[in-house]
Amino acid sequence: MTRARVAAALAGPFTAMLLQGALVAPLTMWVPVSLPAVLVAAVALVDGPATGMSLGFSAGLLADLGSSHPAGALALSWLGLGLVCGVARDRRSVRGDTTIAAVACVLAAVFATLLLSVVHARGVEVWLSVRGAVPAGLGDALLALAVIPVVRRLLSTDVLRARPALDAELELRAARG
Amino acid sequence: MRQLTGRQRMAAIVLAALGVSFLTLDVGGGGLRSAHSGVRGTLGSLYRGTDAVLGPARRFVQGIPSAGTNRSRIAELQHENAVLRGRVAAAESDRRTQLRLAQLQAATAGGYRVLPARVIALGPGEGFDWTVTLDAGSSSGVRVDQTVTDGAGLVGRVLHADASSCVVLLGADPGAGIGVRDVRTGQVGIATGRGSAGFTFVPLDPNALVRVGDVLVTGPTGSTTFVGGLTVGTVSSVRTSADGATRATAQAAVSPTGLDLVGVILVGGQPPKPRPALTPSAQAHR
Repeated sequence: MTRARVAAALAGPFTAMLLQGALVAPLTMWVPVSLPAVLVAAVALVDGPATGMSLGFSAGLLADLGSSHPAGALALSWLGLGLVCGVARDRRSVRGDTTIAAVACVLAAVFATLLLSVVHARGVEVWLSVRGAVPAGLGDALLALAVIPVVRRLLSTDVLRARPALDAELELRAARG
Repeated sequence: MRQLTGRQRMAAIVLAALGVSFLTLDVGGGGLRSAHSGVRGTLGSLYRGTDAVLGPARRFVQGIPSAGTNRSRIAELQHENAVLRGRVAAAESDRRTQLRLAQLQAATAGGYRVLPARVIALGPGEGFDWTVTLDAGSSSGVRVDQTVTDGAGLVGRVLHADASSCVVLLGADPGAGIGVRDVRTGQVGIATGRGSAGFTFVPLDPNALVRVGDVLVTGPTGSTTFVGGLTVGTVSSVRTSADGATRATAQAAVSPTGLDLVGVILVGGQPPKPRPALTPSAQAHR
C-alpha cells in the first residue's frame, strides 16, 4: 500500500464525516442520508472487498466514537457494506453501481439500527429507520450519483490505483534484495 | 459476483470480532468513554472550522423554504434594486438571527444567564442520533445537563461539553424523557420524543383530563433536569385506552430542522469531573 493511498484512506472518511455533520445532515434532517456510508460503498465498488471492508470498519468506528451511541455498531454495519459492495462490484455503469450503493447503504442503516436496538441503545427506534428506508435510499442514490464518478476517477489515477498483488510482491522482494 | 479469498474471509471475521468487542466494551462498562470524548472534541473543533466555510451556504439553503412566508418583507424587497435582491437570503438570515437574539435576551429576564450559541453540526451517525453540536463549550461555562432553548421552546440538554464545543441531545430524541406540566390543568407527566413526529405525553395521573391545544411546559422545577417553564409542545391528539389511561401526542414547539441560533441556560448541570491528583506511591518513598 502506497503512502498516497494511506493518506487518501485517512483524509477521505474524515472529510466525508465533516461534510456529513456540517452540511449533509442539517439539510437532510428528516432523511437519514449518509455521505460516509456512500463513500465506503463507492470505494468498495471500485476497489473491491478488501479496501471496502477496511475503509468501512475504520470510518464506521470513527463515526461511532464521534456519536453518542455505543461504538462498534456503524463499524460492523459499514464493514458489511464494504464487503457486500466489494463482492457485488462488476465495473458496470455508474447507474448500476448507484443502485447497488443505495440499496446497500439503506440495508446497512437498518442493520445498525437493529443492532443498537438489541443492545438497548438510547434513542434508537427501528420503526423510524424502516419508515425512512425509501427516502433514505433515494437520498443515498443521489449522493452516490455524484460520489461514484469522483471516486472512480480518483482511484484510477497512477498515484491512488491499487497495484496487483503480483507487482507488490515482486517490488517487496526487490526491496529485500 | 466475486468470491472472497481466504485472506479476505479471515480479515472480515477478525474485523467483525473486533467490532463486537468494541460494542460489548462500550455497552458493558463505558470503557471507551475517553475515546468518545477525544473524537467528539476533535470533530467539534473541526466542525467549527468547517462551519465557518460552509455555514453561510448551508444557512442560505435552509432559509429557502421560509423565505416566501414573510410577504411584507418580500414586498419590501421587490422595490429594491438588483444588487440588493442578490442579498435577500443573507438579510433574511440576519433578521431571524436578530429575532432569536432578542428572544434569548428576553429569557435572561427570568434571572437566568443565557449563552448564545450556533448549531455547527449534527450527529455524524445514520440518523438515529438526535444530537446537534454547538460552537460553545466548557470554556464559556457550558456544563453537562444544562438546558438549551431557542428563546421560548425547549431544544434539549447538553450531553457532552468540550472546551470549545458541546453536543446537545435534542428533546425529539426517542430516548429522551422530559418531565412536563400541562399549563391548563397543572397535571404533570412525561413527554417522550418521537423524532420528527413530536412527543408522546403520558400524564402521571391516568385519569387526568388532557385536551387538544393544551400547552406542555418543562417542570415542575426541581423535579427535572431541565429549567422549568420552557414550552415543549402543544397537544395535537388525545387517546384514552380501554383501562381509562390517557396518552396524548404533542407537536414540538421547536423544529429540529430550523435550529440555528440557540441559547444554553447557564444554570445547573454537572461540573467537569475532577481528575484524581497524582500521589506518590509508598514504593517511591523508599
